[in-house]
Amino acid sequence: MTRYIIIRTIWIFIIISIILTLNFTLLKLAPEYPPTEKNDRTIYYARQVSDGYMTERVEKNPLIYNAMFNNELVRPRNAEWVDEDDQYRVFEPISVARQYFTWVENIVTDWNWGYSTRVQANVPVFDVLKSRMGVTLRLNLIALFFYIPIGFALGILAALKKNSVTDNVISLGVMIFISIPSFVMMTLLLMLFGYTLDWLPTQFPSADLTGSIQFTGLILPVLGLSFGSIAGLTRLTRAELTEVLTSEFLLLARTKGLTRTQSVIRHAMRNSMVPLVPSVIGSFVSLLSGSVIIELIYGIPGTGRVYIRAMTRNSYDYNLILGTTAFYTIIGLFAVLLVDLSYGIVDPRIRMGARK
Amino acid sequence: MADKNIKYENIDKSQFQFVQDEKKIFDKKFETKPIGYFKDAMMRFAKNKTNLTASIILLTLILLSVFVPIFSTKNAEKLEETLSYLPPRIPYLEDIGIADGTKMRYDQPVDPSTIDPETGLGLPYSTLPKYIDMSTLENYYGGCTGKDAQCVGGQNEIMKDNNKTGAIIRSNTWLSFSKIYSSKIVIDVYNISDEANSKLLVQVGPIAGQYVTIGEITAPGVYTFDPYLDNPTLPASGKIQLRYETEDINLRASLNSVSIVSETEDASEADQLKYNYSVSGYELSQYQLVSEVILNDEEEIIASYSGTYVRANGLRLMSSFRVDAYAEVFGDKFQLAFPASEYDKLMAEYADVCIQMEDPDNPDGWLFPEGCPIVKVNFENESVFVPGKGDQFSYNLVLNYQIYAGYEEIPYFFFGTSAAGKDMVKLIFIGLRTSLLIGLLVAVINITIGVIYGAISGYYGGQIDIIMERFAEIIGRIPWLVTLSIFIALIGPGIETLIYVMVVSGWIGVASVTRTQFYRYKGREYVLASRTLGAKDARLIFRHILPNGIGTIITSSILMVPALIFTEATLSYLGFGIGHGQSFSILGINMSGVSIGVLLSDGRNQLRQNPHLTLFPAIVISILMITFNMFGNALRDAFNPALRGSE
Repeated sequence: MTRYIIIRTIWIFIIISIILTLNFTLLKLAPEYPPTEKNDRTIYYARQVSDGYMTERVEKNPLIYNAMFNNELVRPRNAEWVDEDDQYRVFEPISVARQYFTWVENIVTDWNWGYSTRVQANVPVFDVLKSRMGVTLRLNLIALFFYIPIGFALGILAALKKNSVTDNVISLGVMIFISIPSFVMMTLLLMLFGYTLDWLPTQFPSADLTGSIQFTGLILPVLGLSFGSIAGLTRLTRAELTEVLTSEFLLLARTKGLTRTQSVIRHAMRNSMVPLVPSVIGSFVSLLSGSVIIELIYGIPGTGRVYIRAMTRNSYDYNLILGTTAFYTIIGLFAVLLVDLSYGIVDPRIRMGARK
Repeated sequence: MADKNIKYENIDKSQFQFVQDEKKIFDKKFETKPIGYFKDAMMRFAKNKTNLTASIILLTLILLSVFVPIFSTKNAEKLEETLSYLPPRIPYLEDIGIADGTKMRYDQPVDPSTIDPETGLGLPYSTLPKYIDMSTLENYYGGCTGKDAQCVGGQNEIMKDNNKTGAIIRSNTWLSFSKIYSSKIVIDVYNISDEANSKLLVQVGPIAGQYVTIGEITAPGVYTFDPYLDNPTLPASGKIQLRYETEDINLRASLNSVSIVSETEDASEADQLKYNYSVSGYELSQYQLVSEVILNDEEEIIASYSGTYVRANGLRLMSSFRVDAYAEVFGDKFQLAFPASEYDKLMAEYADVCIQMEDPDNPDGWLFPEGCPIVKVNFENESVFVPGKGDQFSYNLVLNYQIYAGYEEIPYFFFGTSAAGKDMVKLIFIGLRTSLLIGLLVAVINITIGVIYGAISGYYGGQIDIIMERFAEIIGRIPWLVTLSIFIALIGPGIETLIYVMVVSGWIGVASVTRTQFYRYKGREYVLASRTLGAKDARLIFRHILPNGIGTIITSSILMVPALIFTEATLSYLGFGIGHGQSFSILGINMSGVSIGVLLSDGRNQLRQNPHLTLFPAIVISILMITFNMFGNALRDAFNPALRGSE
């Protein structure tokens, strides 16, 4: 078991580092978008030099100066020439490979994920994200705790009343809610409850508003996030429970003299939980990535919204993109790790990757 | 059971007979048709009525997406601004009040002169009263920031610009002060804080070209200042100037009112008016921003003032009402300057109907009988000289848009029209066609890659399999946000990015199904037999193993199509996929950049005003996804009954 845990953990770390490496290298190949304001740009280039991504030198040679001034020299990609009357201050990026190692070093030693360039110029990326992580995580956790009981309850109901009207209605509902894209669902909910009926706020309430609006403002995004998940969990619970309900040990339990309720609660439920627990952990990841679009629709100031802003066309904020995607990647892969481990812990029959 | 046993206890031997008597029947053909694999599957498929219905609906949608764009005569290509945002209008349904071509308008400023004293309701500036459903008219106060007289109440906020010392506002009229009536200046400050050395200086002047400070405010409240206290020489008329200084650009001073109060109880009415003055809300917003730079003796800048001055928390009387949008668009339209050349063209075209008649009410204009695109001409405008074109003549007239645009009757737009005045029905089905084609194309790419990858991985097994599996896992674990950001940064939004993002991790599911199928079939006897006969790997893979597994692979990948449509819609909705104005060609069919996701994205900011922009694409994509998923599930259940129930 220990060996299995170690192998899985190392493997997940390998995947995380591969993904982050890939992301960093490929984004660095694209043209940079430094801050638009002059002051911010000066600070940005100074910081690029002090963080070790660029070199700075002064070009005093009048011949080269003139050539640069008249655009006879081609400016290398992502380099910056600052005209200082009779000389050029030249900032040039070092090679992507060396930038990569500097980047890793900065993160490991200083927890320096770089600075935002366009969204909030020269603010550390981690600070930008830190102020928004709270909203995103809170929303997703509320959605998680909202959808699990409902999904379980509907799934159990459907399985126990298999092939009845209730089951058919639930199954049809599952089919519908699992198919409709979450953003379509969210838009329709917003249109119905926000605009037509005017029951709920049409925008996420800002943090300085107090009172019941903070609560009512959560209803729509939580609903929008969890409809698909409820449907998924219901379907899975139903499938697992029906399978267990037809198994021999349940027949044995009944023949022993247990009532149907007893046998279902003590034997069937427990056994059907085995694949459900990991799937619930895994669903957190899909909730999280689904919340990007919900945040956009409902104006929620979370990490997803910041990601979309950092991806504004021709105003890309690469450091922020890197930071946000790293946030999503790390949370996602830790959830995967947790799923793998929980499989191993919950069901001793499964020991993936481990030698007998 | 007992009954049956008794019943058949002793059956006489003569009751039995041989089915066949020494006849060999192994060569005989079946009397009924044999049920093959596909027929069996079809029977299972047709048995489930719900899924069958879903499949029929799906087929209808697909057929509509093929034929509607071809046969619909409505416009979905060119911009027709007049027809923009028409609500849905459907024959017969309109008679019972659904989709009757009316729509709600919100937040339309009210014209105060039209307020009815009985009901207290005012009419909006924007819409002619004859198109408004008066029973739905409501007036309410809404927030405003405008600097006009209809925006009442609220405060006015002063903010400084970046790198400035502060901002200055000054009254734009000359005000009267009086020493005799002991005039005082009263400033009501709604909000200010003393953080970052913030202060509001109250100044009067000009005294010898300078404004002198008579007071300083650092906290909210009502302040009274005596302008004569330090400045006995203050002239009888001057201006009030407020100088706001702060070190933090995010801070602001918020003002309620500025007044001059004088002790004029005994004075004449004219003096009372002259020496008492108060401005708040709209009037206060008319104060002007003044830029100022203060230099020291060496001509260096020691302070500079510039900023912004905005309205906050103002209220405006708004109205909401239901408007007959079709009647409004196709009815009579007032034209300020209708070009004379256009007028002459219409006159020539409608020469037989457009007979000029005298207007008894208006000697400058003339009337036309019914059926003419021009209802009446109010007067001919003075000619305008345009360089290079000479004098341009125009008319002030009323135009009947329906006849002018050549509609015999007011058209029906079943799902309404888009911002560009295009028919939503046609747009939705064009979008659906694009979505379906992209979905199919990417599915084919994914299945091809997946099958090849899975076949190699499953057929060779061992080390190759382990490495390939690990590689697939890494690729599959990349979050879509990462893939998306990489392609957006390197290529930019568009169809290419869309396809790449969907292909990068899309093939992995197919690969794993194929791999399982290969593990299942590669050890079979017929494979071994073929191998011993000298068949090469490629032959074994493509002629023996793959054909056996392909049914399962295809049926399990059919669900990929709705998933891909889902992704396409999501990305286009976020603005990272295709968009208006793009055109590309798939399988020889030229596509405009309209997909369901694009249409939904268009409607995103119009949820309140124009819900039809979102509602219909949302319903169509929902139906498509639901029926496609049901069809996929049904197909898989029919071909692999063993998989039924396990989703």
